[in-house]
Amino acid sequence: MEHGFLENVAQENGLVGVSPYVKLAVGLGAILLALLSPNWITPLFLAVTLGGAILLLARIDPHLYAHLLAAPLGFAVLSVTAVVLVTGGGAIFWAWQPVPGVLLSVTSGSLSQGALVFSRVLGGMSALFFIALTTPMTELFVVMQRCRVPLPLVNLAMFIYRSIFILADQVEQVMNAQRMRLGYSSPREAVASFGNLCGAAFIASWEAGEDLMRAMDARCYQGRFAMLGESQPLEIRHLATAGAYLLVASALLLATVPGALSWGGV
Amino acid sequence: MSRIILEARDVRYRYPGGVDAIRGISFHIRRGEKVALVGPNGAGKSTLLLMFNGMLRPDAGTLLFDNRPLRYDASSLRDLRRRVGFVFQNPDRQIIAPTVYQDVAFGPVNLGYDSERVQDVVRDALQNVGLAGFERRPPHQLSAGEKKRVAIAGVLAMDPDLLVLDEPTSSLDPAGSEDTMELLEELHQAGKTIIISTHDVELAYPWADRAILLREGEILQEDIPEVAFGDPGLVRKARLSVPVLLELYQELARRGLPIPEKRPKTVLDMIHLMEQAFSQGARTGTCGTIHVCDVDITGPEALSGWLSSRDSLWIGAMGTRAKQRAAEGQIALDFTYGVIDKCLLRALSGESSLILTAGGMVRRVEVRVSAFAEEWGTRIPVDEVRSP
Repeated sequence: MEHGFLENVAQENGLVGVSPYVKLAVGLGAILLALLSPNWITPLFLAVTLGGAILLLARIDPHLYAHLLAAPLGFAVLSVTAVVLVTGGGAIFWAWQPVPGVLLSVTSGSLSQGALVFSRVLGGMSALFFIALTTPMTELFVVMQRCRVPLPLVNLAMFIYRSIFILADQVEQVMNAQRMRLGYSSPREAVASFGNLCGAAFIASWEAGEDLMRAMDARCYQGRFAMLGESQPLEIRHLATAGAYLLVASALLLATVPGALSWGGV
Repeated sequence: MSRIILEARDVRYRYPGGVDAIRGISFHIRRGEKVALVGPNGAGKSTLLLMFNGMLRPDAGTLLFDNRPLRYDASSLRDLRRRVGFVFQNPDRQIIAPTVYQDVAFGPVNLGYDSERVQDVVRDALQNVGLAGFERRPPHQLSAGEKKRVAIAGVLAMDPDLLVLDEPTSSLDPAGSEDTMELLEELHQAGKTIIISTHDVELAYPWADRAILLREGEILQEDIPEVAFGDPGLVRKARLSVPVLLELYQELARRGLPIPEKRPKTVLDMIHLMEQAFSQGARTGTCGTIHVCDVDITGPEALSGWLSSRDSLWIGAMGTRAKQRAAEGQIALDFTYGVIDKCLLRALSGESSLILTAGGMVRRVEVRVSAFAEEWGTRIPVDEVRSP
């Protein structure tokens, strides 16, 4: 069954040929820069460029990407509105006191603070999505092992990864069966159906666990797990491109600091 | 090395709930045999299979592998499980690792092979099942047939002597079932002993050397498939059905037609029998030629050159590698299963055909065709396509 998992998208993205180390470096570096930046310019630059890379290089469907960004941006708009209204500083453009002691205002300081928070969310989310959409979990397992994450943890992660898809299938089947018999037609029904669904999922995962142990026994399990080698060697041109990108972003960050557009602090 | 690879002596098993699953079963499996355990749901097929690699221990009776009683200490079980490869009914319950490569390598790594040997056996196993190039794919993105192949490859990578498959074609579409049975045929040709459980009599009938009919934990009948499935009373008792070909044969015999003793196992056998019955074996006209091409020797260009110089031709591919080459060369295949039989049928009606194959199977085609032609008292030319 085909799930709407990002993992499936990542398995077929256009940057599959690039070493996961390079993609992780770009993603994590971008998150760091977005957090370090005291103004909105660098995070916005990161959001635009990484968004471009996701759409043009990784060839992710624009609708999917817009859909993914919509949820965090929705939250961001809400919280930024609150930030703009509650914080102050600088020239006052608009103010209103609904009840004594509470002052809502839009000032130059609060606007730049809001712009900073919004662009940081945008930049950070773009970087996270860049990693999630271009680096499949199967490659991250290799990275985890190379980075000396304890082997039992990596093995456990791999078992969990494998089981998620099997369990998701079963949950979907149970849920469809419930929907077909109007299991979610009223709030009361929905609560009861959801309870049943959780019970069924628990039993299914228990059985899957027993089967897994049996399958491992049948295949002479001795505590070892084969590791996949790196799919893609670290290519100089990829490394150079990633390095140049992070350098440009860092330079932009440094260049915009002295201007001190808003050193309001968060 | 003994001729008998697996033997059961009055084996009994009762589930903890108190249900008698196996009630005194004795049989033996010879090396190189293809055996089908056939019975309805709940007959005890899976329970019995799980005893073959020591997953279940009988309450009474003895199981012998290679003439030695099974021992249930950890190291004996490990050795047994390496030599008895078990393929579960549901591949999702057998595939453990997040990628195809890691899953096929699971057994070899745990057997302590060094990394070079692991790579070699995984590559060979994947090639054997026709999944070369799938190494990095996660199992949840594969089709049911491909998952089944991964499960079989995972077992093949440990190079077992005996392959045990529980309902190998359940939940596969007809093409997937045919592919799987063809793969089992290839593995059998490569020297493996194979036991399958199934309730699909049409599948078991032409494939098996021997069929064991089970019902309620007991053996009802154990014989060559023509006999095992030939008794309608017994077959009904086992909640199965008589294979269509066998039923047709019985109906023809009941009408007093002069048909031979030998019961048909395939459509080809049936046509032979009917021609004999209705025209007293007098064949007229010449037979078509069966061309055979070893795709390992003849390259794709040579083959397409050869094909373009021919008029219409029936084309079949035998074996996983030949099918892959056909797909690569965009050659449309008319037959992918029971290929020799189908080409013989065409030859008998005067049409020519081409069999794509690989790895020494050319000889097998020649032997089969000449044996068939001799039996029919006719001449069917076999021509090997060679690179110019």
